[in-house]
Amino acid sequence: MLNFIIRRTLYAVPIVLGVIVLTFLLFRVVQTPESIATMVLGPKATRQAKDDFIRREGLDKPKAVQLGEHVKKLVTFDLGTSWKTGRGLGETFIEGAGPSLMITVPGFLAGLITAVGLALYQVFVRNSLLDRSMTVAAVALMSIPAVVYIIVLQAIGALMLNYFPASGFDWRGLGTLKFVALPIFVIVIVNLGYDARLYRAIFIEEIGQDYVRTARAKGVAPTRVLSVHVLKNGMIALITLTVAHLPALIMGSLLIENFFGIPGLGNVLVMAIQTGDLPVVMASVYLGSLLYVASLILTDIAYALADPRIRLS
Amino acid sequence: MGFGIFLQAGCGNNPNPEPLRTTRNDGSPWLVRYGGLSEDPRSFDPQFMYDQMSRRVLEAVYDTLLEYHPMKTDPYEVRPALLAEMPLKEISADGKISYLCKLKTVAKYHDDPCFAGGKGRAVVAEDVHYAFQRLCDPKVESPFLSNLAEYIVGMQDAHDAAEKNDGVFDYSARLPGLEVLDAHTFRLHLTKPYPQIIYWLAMHCTTPVAREAVEYYDGEEHDGELRPDFHKFYAVGTGPYRIREYTPRQRVRLERVEGYATTTFPTDGFPPEKAEWLQQFAGAPLPLTDEVHFSIIRENIPIFILTRQGYLDGMAVNKDAFNAMLTPARELAPKYRERGMFLEKDIDVSTFWISFNMDDPLLGKNRKLRQALSCAYDGQTYSDIFYNSVAPVAEQLVPPGLFGYDRHFENPYGYDLDKAKRLLAEAGYPGGRDASGRVLELTMDCAATGSEDRQRVEFVQRGFERLGIKVKIIENTFAHLLRKEDTGDFQMADGTGWGADYPDPENFFFLLYSKNVPPAGKNISRYRSPEFDRLFEQMATMENSPERLSIVKEMNALVAEDCPQILNFHKAFYTAVQPWAPRTHNNLMLEGGVKYVTVDPVLRAQLQKEWNRKPLWPIALLGALCAGAIGYAVHWNRRLNA
Repeated sequence: MLNFIIRRTLYAVPIVLGVIVLTFLLFRVVQTPESIATMVLGPKATRQAKDDFIRREGLDKPKAVQLGEHVKKLVTFDLGTSWKTGRGLGETFIEGAGPSLMITVPGFLAGLITAVGLALYQVFVRNSLLDRSMTVAAVALMSIPAVVYIIVLQAIGALMLNYFPASGFDWRGLGTLKFVALPIFVIVIVNLGYDARLYRAIFIEEIGQDYVRTARAKGVAPTRVLSVHVLKNGMIALITLTVAHLPALIMGSLLIENFFGIPGLGNVLVMAIQTGDLPVVMASVYLGSLLYVASLILTDIAYALADPRIRLS
Repeated sequence: MGFGIFLQAGCGNNPNPEPLRTTRNDGSPWLVRYGGLSEDPRSFDPQFMYDQMSRRVLEAVYDTLLEYHPMKTDPYEVRPALLAEMPLKEISADGKISYLCKLKTVAKYHDDPCFAGGKGRAVVAEDVHYAFQRLCDPKVESPFLSNLAEYIVGMQDAHDAAEKNDGVFDYSARLPGLEVLDAHTFRLHLTKPYPQIIYWLAMHCTTPVAREAVEYYDGEEHDGELRPDFHKFYAVGTGPYRIREYTPRQRVRLERVEGYATTTFPTDGFPPEKAEWLQQFAGAPLPLTDEVHFSIIRENIPIFILTRQGYLDGMAVNKDAFNAMLTPARELAPKYRERGMFLEKDIDVSTFWISFNMDDPLLGKNRKLRQALSCAYDGQTYSDIFYNSVAPVAEQLVPPGLFGYDRHFENPYGYDLDKAKRLLAEAGYPGGRDASGRVLELTMDCAATGSEDRQRVEFVQRGFERLGIKVKIIENTFAHLLRKEDTGDFQMADGTGWGADYPDPENFFFLLYSKNVPPAGKNISRYRSPEFDRLFEQMATMENSPERLSIVKEMNALVAEDCPQILNFHKAFYTAVQPWAPRTHNNLMLEGGVKYVTVDPVLRAQLQKEWNRKPLWPIALLGALCAGAIGYAVHWNRRLNA
């Protein structure tokens, strides 16, 4: 197991370095130093202000030198400071992680439980009119873009029903719930159609297995077959899907945070993209790639833990 | 049931935190104003910050030496704030110009641990000197230095000396351009005549700061405690509010400063339609509200919802909300009128245009061709399509509200297609073709990053092509377009505009002054007219007077005739205001002017309750759905077992 982790970690190094170089090429080579200075300082910036900025940020150095410095900083987790706010990025990311996790983790768990529950329910009533109706509804849910859910559910939950705040966030103990309830609900709904369909397919496949027939023949109740045997054996497929969600959980949800005013990492990234705050964008991409690679390794480990037949080598 | 109770009792939809207090010391209600910022402020350092969001906050926290009179907007006027009276212009025997300034003795810094005993001290002339030194300090990175250094004696030298000294600024050296005469008097020495300096004294970059505060809040750890950095997000102000909270990406909260006495509500200049109501505030101590709450909200939809619910005191009626909130006659929709809301209409101090490159061998030398293109451009339809008819067509470069704006002036080359065709023929391109019968082809650069940008530029293209000519569109990123404008690598450039730094015609006409052709300045049209330059140089250094007005009129006529640009529109804003927070002023040179605004907390509480009733039927529906699903499962189970 340890060998496997070390080997996979070493494989990840060129991938992450590749991501760093690509983002550098995209943001610091394709754009001229003057374009960057104009983007950050605005169209009214004087020549002197732009020149000062370019010199201060080292944008006038040879690109190879800039790349070397950039890689060195990221590898040592010196993420630098935001060009827009002047705040340290380490501090900004740590601050943003809390609100992001407050919506993504419960959203993910609630979504998983709801989708698995619905899928099991559908499998239970399979081939009935209700099952077919639910499948049609799931396809419909999958077909609608996330932004539509956000706007419509915000309008319904906040404007029509007045149940939740339309925007905002505050650490107020239990009071925080009211700020995150609607975004969590949106996360659940956005993924529900796809997840429920997928899990239903997984469970339907399981329910056709010999062990299910055996259990039913031995007189095990259908509900118990589903909730114990089928669910347990469907876990491997579930793990593959769920662990892959990890980076998104930590990096936040760009659209949802933005629309609901959640001051998380997604919000930080969207603001950085909109304002040309390249250090934030590049550091976010770097952290995202690290998390993605880590989640892939975790997926493999989780396989082995969930199914003793799988050996990591 | 539990979910229902949670929604009904525990889960209010008001995102605003509890106010800092509920009553004032005298028992009267604590007044809170709720507004929004579209993004985070970038700094609270007056000498450094230049973005609109920081200005909105700092306007309430730091008083400036002069300030815009909140009521006088046609033309805009400044009045003393930290200064006791308007600066006195002096001309020495050798023609050198200076301004004598006296500070109010009541002006004080907010109480803060950086001062002896934690008590804020009086603002003195040395603080102004220190602020001007900070403008020259390379470490402060002030974007205003290059503008001010041109006019104030010794600023550039002080900056250059620091640059040579590894960026270390010598604060012990006196700045010759700012002479401190006594504790409350100083004299500003100019390098050349520049009447617009008074507007710079109304900006935050020239506001005094306490040296103790800058040195105390150094962002370092002292005695195990990390002090914030003055240069970034700490303010020790002189204004009517102090910052109580800044939570990035969430909110800024301001609290009134007890004992603030530097400025009062104006006693004159009230607009006739509000004069009777405003009279109650005349001469009143400021601020009128006790707490200001800025939520940082970037999306328009939440702003609209929160305003509908009464949790924001007003909102700009942006494109997304336009059809929902306004009638086709551009009035507030009945639904919102019935709620008691008001609609305020303002024209911004900005002008937008399409630039011709006067260095282009075709356009630069053919005035009739430029005039023809100008006549072919339908600004009103552009405003109808892209700005819901809100933005007025620009007839002149100077926007409304500025000295020299002539409301009766009509651009002689405004939209007139027949005239355009006639002028095109006179330009040598009858029917859009040259003498050899070849179709005239022009190029237009634009910043097109989204579908709407593309629609805008296609509208302009279609307008020109009605003359029978071809216009090729070149799409750029915004930064790339700016670079092309700087280098002159374009024939026509769409989407150019300017918002007033200060309300003076010089701040717009300098965009056509020949000495400001890039890289020296922002004359991207590369317009070079000796006559215009002569008038500009004369007008720029004059105080407002009938003579200056006639020169501005002459310049308007000259520019209209030479047509170095196609004037497009002035930006305009519609603002929906809640019934409990009617606007006390409409001065767009102020960043909200929160110290003048007021609220009626009783009416707000009553209407918020009325507008935010929670229906119970969705909970019942949800319960019925769950019961139905369980019932169906039980039924199915029985069927299976059977």
